[in-house]
Amino acid sequence: MLPVVVVHGGAGHIPKERSKNSMSGVCSATRAGYAVLKGGGSSMDAVVEAVTQLENNPSFNAGCGSVLTVKGDVEMDAIVMDGKTLGSGAVSAVRNIANPVQLARLVMDKTSHACLTAEGASQFARSMGVPEVPQESLITEYARMRWKKNLAPGANPVECQMGKMGTVGAVAVDSEGNVACATSTGGILNKMEGRVGDTPCIGCGGYADNQTGAVSTTGHGEAIMKVTLARLILFHMEQGQSVEAASDLGLAYMKSRVEGLGGVVTVDPQGNWAARFSSLQMAWAAAQKDTLHYGLYCGEHFTQSIEDPN
Amino acid sequence: MSAVLVVHGGAWAIPDKLAKASVDGVKGAACEGFSVLKEGGSALDAVEAAVRSMEDNAVFNAGHGAALNTDGEVELDAIIMDGRTLDCGAVSSVQNIANPVSLARAVMEKTCHVMLMGRGANLFAESIGVATVPTDSMVTEYERKEWEKQKNYITGVMEDFNSQWAHDTVGAVAVDCAGNVACATSTGGIRNKMVGRVGDSPVIGSGGYADNCSGAVSCTGHGESILKVTLARLILSYIEQGKSAADASQLSLEYMGSRVQGAGGAIVVTPPGQWAATFTTERMAWAAVENDILWYGLDPNERVKEQLSRQ
Repeated sequence: MLPVVVVHGGAGHIPKERSKNSMSGVCSATRAGYAVLKGGGSSMDAVVEAVTQLENNPSFNAGCGSVLTVKGDVEMDAIVMDGKTLGSGAVSAVRNIANPVQLARLVMDKTSHACLTAEGASQFARSMGVPEVPQESLITEYARMRWKKNLAPGANPVECQMGKMGTVGAVAVDSEGNVACATSTGGILNKMEGRVGDTPCIGCGGYADNQTGAVSTTGHGEAIMKVTLARLILFHMEQGQSVEAASDLGLAYMKSRVEGLGGVVTVDPQGNWAARFSSLQMAWAAAQKDTLHYGLYCGEHFTQSIEDPN
Repeated sequence: MSAVLVVHGGAWAIPDKLAKASVDGVKGAACEGFSVLKEGGSALDAVEAAVRSMEDNAVFNAGHGAALNTDGEVELDAIIMDGRTLDCGAVSSVQNIANPVSLARAVMEKTCHVMLMGRGANLFAESIGVATVPTDSMVTEYERKEWEKQKNYITGVMEDFNSQWAHDTVGAVAVDCAGNVACATSTGGIRNKMVGRVGDSPVIGSGGYADNCSGAVSCTGHGESILKVTLARLILSYIEQGKSAADASQLSLEYMGSRVQGAGGAIVVTPPGQWAATFTTERMAWAAVENDILWYGLDPNERVKEQLSRQ
């Protein structure tokens, strides 16, 4: 059953013309994460690798391709968590960094803190020799177009955003049974400067605990925060629910209590996994026993050998 | 329906020289918050009032009297949450605001977001007419001296004794006459923290959580440990499973101690009016008001009772 990696590229409504890129992106990232695991790498190495690839892929709302703030800037959030130690690292509202997930990992590994924000995160990045990148290199035409469109009065950025530009994330369990999660995002379209969503908030954007499992979430950030979605799903698993049932219970509760939609990828230390969502679609992929699994619409579950090209 | 308010002024090895002021401070804050409840005010109004009182009190590490970061600046975090709707507002690393808890409430009520940080939070404050306060007026001589002293400590040594660090974050929880619960937490964070360090206080589920279905919690203690176990949400999960407020708090704090070697404290209130103030540090300044009776304590197992004078 082990190892396993599961990746998501955003929950919502992905327009047809973008779905091909989303699917090839998550599959590619999954392959990369799985290769790390098969090579003896840890679950933390695997999720960071998978999410790094998605950050570098302009089709996703993370790193390059991030949505813009209302002022037209890029501010990114990311989190990693190690299920063995409960160690965690996060960055919020960080600018001019190509891979926030890697900076989040450095926060965990090299500081005694769990989260650094904005200018503090940038200062830390400099001290670690992480290069600063020009903001322009992170902005795509598509992001700029959506930003302009949503500046119009009466626009509804939350609805406009759902799924089209997705937060990315991954969970994994390695051959030693250690679990980890990672999540990264540019946040909500046209957000206020300094807005922090669920992603860098432990228990919301992600959570990992070797005693139970790991979760990475995507969807309407404020709703995910209100129900601490990742932690909630793991509470259900602690009570004996399966990965699938726990994920569905968490998502259903978020929908009924705070009217929020989203998606999750979940794994337990035994290698059971699930990719579930209450939105119309979620681009996801998983790798286990040399098989690639993937889907986009509710109910879809395709498989092929991991060796087969995309 | 019985209204209850509980406050804490920090869980750590509070030195004797600060003990009286800390206890007086939490007693005053509890009375202030409770008077809001007595007049029929909401749990949300009550926790905000109680925390504002402690932010204005320079003995606590929140608002006035906040600890300084490694650059000698003040960066404040706060959270407030409404158990009825699960609405929440938080600010992190905001500078030169006298009452971060009120700014957090404004984020909740006046924006479609839950959390704003740094410059964005300051811009928002300006946009709603909340005044910026000069750093000097927020920093006490005591904090400035402590900052200078700590610059010379070997970090490794301090790490081992996280319960010795000052953790005088403040917080309040309440249940009002309508059975609604709310929580609020506010802090200047760890002394000499890295610039931009965000602890547990503004993170929903860690520094605080409120849900009419189970209760409201505000936490204090070693922030990074509280985050790792999402302490507030953990306590409420035990209550959801039928544990009492006191048992849920004790179990969760013990777990935090054994799993991640972190010490801290929590105050809890449930919709039927059960409450608890629990800590695994040497001391925690706390106070609670219920039925015109004021309870308070500082040392473990200390519980002093005072009758509030009737108006």
